Amino acid sequence: MRQGAWKWVARVAVVLVILYATLFGTVALAMMQPPARFGRIMRHMPGMLVWMLLPAPTMWQWARQGDLKEGDAAPDFTLHTQDRSSQVTLSSYRGDRPVVLVFGSYT
Amino acid sequence: MPDLNALYKKYRDRAAFYVVYIQEAHPVDAWQIPSNVKDNVLEASTTTAEERSHVAGKCVKNLGIEIPALIDAPDDRVERAYTGWPDRLYVIDAEGRVAFKSAPGPFGFEPADVGAALEKMMGPATPAPEGEGGV
Repeated sequence: MRQGAWKWVARVAVVLVILYATLFGTVALAMMQPPARFGRIMRHMPGMLVWMLLPAPTMWQWARQGDLKEGDAAPDFTLHTQDRSSQVTLSSYRGDRPVVLVFGSYT
Repeated sequence: MPDLNALYKKYRDRAAFYVVYIQEAHPVDAWQIPSNVKDNVLEASTTTAEERSHVAGKCVKNLGIEIPALIDAPDDRVERAYTGWPDRLYVIDAEGRVAFKSAPGPFGFEPADVGAALEKMMGPATPAPEGEGGV
């Protein structure tokens, strides 16, 4: 009887480990997708479970580390201003002053 | 956002500042989050230049952002080059090199780190005059 109970505990433990590994793997893979696809996957995930059970900030930092490193040449770009009245080119500040870039969106 | 505006006011005479408006983090048609519903920040994904300009304009106005904003191209090329989504901070030095790259947002979004990077590069800021208004 006692041995049977332990077997039962071991089975539950195995199932929990498999469930955790599946959750971890799914979220890790999702984090490596382009943002729009990642969002579409996360929409169907149990948010609280993900944030409470997984080391999500660490996983996110790893998945979104990107290729650019400090000391690398900053990729140049020319973008429209918000009102689309003019354009700004990053390299136009070269030899002049540093540039702070704040990436973000509304939501 | 108050932190960013304070940073901008403190260093804008010695560094250029730009918000790069990129694709939405939590649009209604993808990964909607409850806090945005509560705050009534409900926007669909933006892909065209027109949509981005429109939502970026709302964003800047409603969040009171004083830093001038640029809008990423419809192909998200600047976001991809900088891994900027959902939000991230960079300092590019005057030689065009990456001097500071924050961890990816929302966890790594610390405007104070930008101040520290700028001071390391240019020395301490002279105190901003009191009551100085926007541009």
